[in-house]
Amino acid sequence: MARRGKWTALAAAAGALMLALTACSAGSGVNVNPSTVTSGGTGGGTLVAAIGGQPDQLDPAVTTSYNSFQVLENVYDTLVEPDQNLAMQPALAESWTTSDDQLTWTFKLRQGVKFHDGSDFTSADVVYSYDRIIDEKLSPSWRFSAVKSIKAPDDSTVVITVKSPSPNLLANLGGFKGLGIVKKSNVTSGDIKTKPIGTGPFSVEKFTAGDSIELEANPDYWGGAPKLDGVKFTFIPEPSTAMAALQSGEVQWTDSVPAQEVATLKNDNTITLGQVGSNDYWYLALNQAKSPWKDVRVRQAVAYAIDRDAITQATKYGNATVNQLAIPKTSQWYTEYAPFTFDEAKAKSLMAEAGVTSANMTFLATSDYPETVTVGQLLADALGKIGITVKIKTVDFATWLDEQGKGNFDLLMMGWLGNIDPDDFYYGQHHTDGSNNYQHYSNAEVDRLLDAGRTETDQAARKDLYAQAAKIIADECSYIYLYNPDVLQVWSTKLTGYEVRGDRAIRFRTASLAG
Amino acid sequence: MSAAQVTADTAAVTGSAPLWRRSLKALLASPVVWFCLVVLGTVLLCAVFGEQIAPQSANETDVSRAFTPPGPDAWMGTDDLGRDVFSRVVLSAAPTLQVSVTSVGIALVVGVTLGLLAGYYRGWVDVVVMRVVDVMFAFPVMLLAIAIVAVLGAGLTTAIIAIGVVYTPIFARVTRASVLSVREEPFIKAAKSLGARDSRIIFTHVLPNVSAPIIVQTSLSFAFAILSEAALSFLGLGVQPPDPSWGRMLFDAKSFLNQGWWLSVFPGAAIFITVLAFNLIGDALRDVLDPKTMTKERA
Repeated sequence: MARRGKWTALAAAAGALMLALTACSAGSGVNVNPSTVTSGGTGGGTLVAAIGGQPDQLDPAVTTSYNSFQVLENVYDTLVEPDQNLAMQPALAESWTTSDDQLTWTFKLRQGVKFHDGSDFTSADVVYSYDRIIDEKLSPSWRFSAVKSIKAPDDSTVVITVKSPSPNLLANLGGFKGLGIVKKSNVTSGDIKTKPIGTGPFSVEKFTAGDSIELEANPDYWGGAPKLDGVKFTFIPEPSTAMAALQSGEVQWTDSVPAQEVATLKNDNTITLGQVGSNDYWYLALNQAKSPWKDVRVRQAVAYAIDRDAITQATKYGNATVNQLAIPKTSQWYTEYAPFTFDEAKAKSLMAEAGVTSANMTFLATSDYPETVTVGQLLADALGKIGITVKIKTVDFATWLDEQGKGNFDLLMMGWLGNIDPDDFYYGQHHTDGSNNYQHYSNAEVDRLLDAGRTETDQAARKDLYAQAAKIIADECSYIYLYNPDVLQVWSTKLTGYEVRGDRAIRFRTASLAG
Repeated sequence: MSAAQVTADTAAVTGSAPLWRRSLKALLASPVVWFCLVVLGTVLLCAVFGEQIAPQSANETDVSRAFTPPGPDAWMGTDDLGRDVFSRVVLSAAPTLQVSVTSVGIALVVGVTLGLLAGYYRGWVDVVVMRVVDVMFAFPVMLLAIAIVAVLGAGLTTAIIAIGVVYTPIFARVTRASVLSVREEPFIKAAKSLGARDSRIIFTHVLPNVSAPIIVQTSLSFAFAILSEAALSFLGLGVQPPDPSWGRMLFDAKSFLNQGWWLSVFPGAAIFITVLAFNLIGDALRDVLDPKTMTKERA
């Protein structure tokens, strides 16, 4: 399955993560194979991992490609980072406190941490990394929208002041490696694009364009030296090729897993299948700037005319959970709500009520995400029955983004990835001024609730605000939510100590490889 | 119209009439040709009466019966969305024939006209036309077609245009080669000396006498056009979903080789048999229309 570009959507507005993971195989992970020792590491061998495409570049604050972050997850550290349950834990910051007015956050940094080039990590690096993103308006800069200033009173302290109480600050700082702490000299020399220097468990040794990226274990990693000697990421765009490479032993890990193969893979005892619910969600959006979609009844008619179970089965073969809101069941922010059923008669009566007997609809699909073409064909059949003629327009993802931005669509299907905080799920997409509100939804009450959610520090009250907003969003079909897909990864049974994560972060720091 | 012209016309027509009758007879004597006619007749029937023949509409989905193997309920099984493969194979005949007939029609008309002009007038017309044709020949056919579709945007109409354009040069070249020899024939000189206009000479006297290789080329081009359409649709540049097309069905099937062999086998077989039929007919036509072969047969 194509993954390129998904992160583009993500990086434009996504956020942090929280998700209770069901357990996958978590081996003891102690296995030594001295014959392959090169340097660093403790003799765990070199892992070959197949990813779907070549990273466009390796500067964490600039790239928007998921392929880049698959690699960078192992190279950079953030101040805090999500654990398996997507709760924020200390990383480069050992501890933090907030002032009574919730406007000042003081982070105490971990001592003795070194960059891959041997230099010391200090608070100045944090200030530089963050200011660079803010000053140069780099892609994660929206995560600092509430931040007033970032100061370093001494080498091991960072003080962040915010304009208003920001309960999601930690999720913004640690949610993904775009906020990784970089080294100034590495940025100014331009080397960061191909040979980034971080503080993470692995360092980048070699970037061979069109072929692979080789990482080497960082023996001085603050979290303990990795067991593997290194990781080699190879680029295999075709999922069936990646699966064949895995089965032949050429690679030992891949996330290019065709959903229709899962049933077969479960019975294959030479590989481990990692499957866990994700915080991603897929949705349909009708362009409300156009007639007749601006009529809420017509949008609701569409919501009643589609069979969510059939869509989920046809796209994910059961490896997803149907959901009529964005936030998955596994999240602490989950709200149960399912206003729509599959009801053709109800859809027809809503169409009649709106006075629409027939309509032509252009469904914007992209070949980079074949599920959009699949769903387009299901919709052509389903919506045809209530008088809507669907024409599917299939373009590449770059064009798709362009068309979405220009509003050249009646209906589109897409997914958002990597969200953690409820603000990530709803604000950008449904606030009148939201940066990703391409469907032109506007509701004053939703705006009020989403604004209030940003500053509410009481967790229960906050959850209630988002639940109210989400129900209105679903009722009025700003998005027609479809499902939360599972994260699917497979690896050789020789690889132990690795766990699949719901936020799609790929961490090889505790993994090891048997001979 | 002068009496002499009439005589010349009659000569050209009567000269070829027995050839046609002889050729047709020779053609129909071959069981291979009958096989091809049956295949192509079936494809034509499906293209015209597809809606009546197909048990279901092409786009009727039912995910609950996805991947049903071939059986009494679905002769060729169902695909990943539960659509009936037999219905889709039948209904794909129409767009396939539409693309191949129209695109070969375009190539035929444009290519033959250019070939006639180049071969008849020679000189700068010949140089310009044939150099352009040479340039187009320099590109691999599919590459050129993909480039054209990339510029015009994917779809059925652009596929027709693209395939028509890429097969134009071969018609121009085949026609020109024959015209070069025919234009030196005495009856052309006779027509010229009688004051016939160029257009009359080209279309009335030259064209009928160069038609044999063009007919053979047309038949073979149908086969190539069908393959090109399938290839373009396979690459997502031809017929757009949800509309069915053999090439598009193959593209969709490639993700499901482990789930249902019938998804790729039946549309693949449809392409194979149709292309084979056009090729065999083309070969048979060449055998009966080629003067050299004919001489041998008569001897």
